[in-house]
Amino acid sequence: MPALVELVGATRQYGEFVALDDVHLALRPGEMAFLVGPSGAGKTTLLKLINREIRPTSGEVWIDGLPVHALRPGRVADLRRRVGVVYQDYKLLPRLTALENVAFGLQVSDLGASDAEVHDRSLDALEAVGLGDRAGSFPAELSGGQQQRVAIARAVVAQPAVVVADEPTGNLDLETAWQVVRLLEQISRFGTTVLIATHNLDIVRRMQRRVLTLVDGRLVRDQPAGRVGRLAWASS
Amino acid sequence: MGVVLKAPFPRRRRLLTVVRNTFRHLFLDSARAWIRNLGATGPALGSMTLLLLLSGLVGLAAFTMQRLAATQATDAAVLHVYLRDDAKPADVAALRARLGSDRRVATVGYTSKVAALQRAQNRPGMGELAGAAEDNPFPASLDVRLRSVSDVGALAGSVSGGPAVDPILPTSYDPGASDRIQKALLVIGIAGGAFLLLLGFVAVAVTANSIRAAILARQSELAIMQLVGAPRWMVRGPFLVEGAMTGAIAGFAAGVVTLVAGVVVVAAGRSTFAQIAPGVDVGVCLLAAAFVFLAGLLLGSGASLLSVHRQLEA
Repeated sequence: MPALVELVGATRQYGEFVALDDVHLALRPGEMAFLVGPSGAGKTTLLKLINREIRPTSGEVWIDGLPVHALRPGRVADLRRRVGVVYQDYKLLPRLTALENVAFGLQVSDLGASDAEVHDRSLDALEAVGLGDRAGSFPAELSGGQQQRVAIARAVVAQPAVVVADEPTGNLDLETAWQVVRLLEQISRFGTTVLIATHNLDIVRRMQRRVLTLVDGRLVRDQPAGRVGRLAWASS
Repeated sequence: MGVVLKAPFPRRRRLLTVVRNTFRHLFLDSARAWIRNLGATGPALGSMTLLLLLSGLVGLAAFTMQRLAATQATDAAVLHVYLRDDAKPADVAALRARLGSDRRVATVGYTSKVAALQRAQNRPGMGELAGAAEDNPFPASLDVRLRSVSDVGALAGSVSGGPAVDPILPTSYDPGASDRIQKALLVIGIAGGAFLLLLGFVAVAVTANSIRAAILARQSELAIMQLVGAPRWMVRGPFLVEGAMTGAIAGFAAGVVTLVAGVVVVAAGRSTFAQIAPGVDVGVCLLAAAFVFLAGLLLGSGASLLSVHRQLEA
């Protein structure tokens, strides 16, 4: 099966500082992987390369057949419709309800969706994350875990091929964090590739999915699913 | 056997949905955002209205000056040869014949004392003066239109001292008068143009700043829009529409005030305008108002384009 996400010698420098150094990586459709490493290891940089928030200094990034490294600014929106993003701070619009936040993601990415279709699909996405009954609530009326689930619903409502999550459990207690990760796992079962950057090693060990370890911008270890024991950087 | 039901005209329906959504994103959402941000846009709207109004009035004044300059240029080629009150008809006829046969002269007309008085009475500020005199102080004249302005001085010199010509004020020739007026009008024109440029610059800066403020206020929304895959036009378009709305509303308000002010001034000084700046009428005021509206629309759109480019491309 061809890779849905592929990095070939991807390097990203900020001046003299090398944030990501010659990373080679391939993720298949429906695969779920964790990206771990100490702070400043380059996890967020790698996710930003995938979503084309930044360009690689050298090397190639391919997402669902799109050459992200060579993408013209006018085509970035095409890529973003194939990549759903979940952030640690949720990034919900406070003046919109949960349903409207999810619908917003769909409205701006698919002009051909009618109002009824947008409503139905957004509500479906909210129900899928267990928040169908909170559709009319504003973000301020929701707990952190609920807000994160709304953010996940928004990330997946347009059915992207890839979902990347940057510390999605960073602001959540362990139980809620576990629920959120399980939710992302369910999403991967429908064929979506999920890549989660996290510091939460308990969850990584419990999930027993593929683990990619970054240290000082280099991919130092790639542990396949089911064989996650000691984590390279954590044990050092 | 089952029946396959097909939705009627799905492609057309989807196209309609795309058009409706595009319209909503581009115009309805922009209008809502514009109203929501009125507190921030208000000062820019007020400043722009004032600046456009000033531009409109300066523009009208400039047009009046231009007409005045054109009138002056036309009059400069006309030489009035004033006749003595006791001039003999034969001498007048001889002078007229001589002027008529001159190669430099295009036409020769005659204005009697009565016609001269009537003409004076119609000139701004001269009516009372003309009526105050016991007898008619205005002389009859031969009105000579020359082919070239440069020949006026020579012809004036050639007719002075003739038997039919007034010995005290022989002609209307005033060397340098026309040049002085033209120079003064040029200076006024340059100053007006510079003032208009300055106003335009200020209007663009004010509007660009208000759009910049709107962009900054919606930074998180814009970032999310971009992250979820909103195309560039969807992110930038609404700001352009908002800028155009600010410009159009300011332009409309300023245009209406320019029109009203222009119409009132023209109506109040109808005879004056007819004499010194023919062509300055209600139609011209309407045109000025339309220009002000268009200028507002263009300035608003241009300023927001500039601001969007600077803020969002960065």
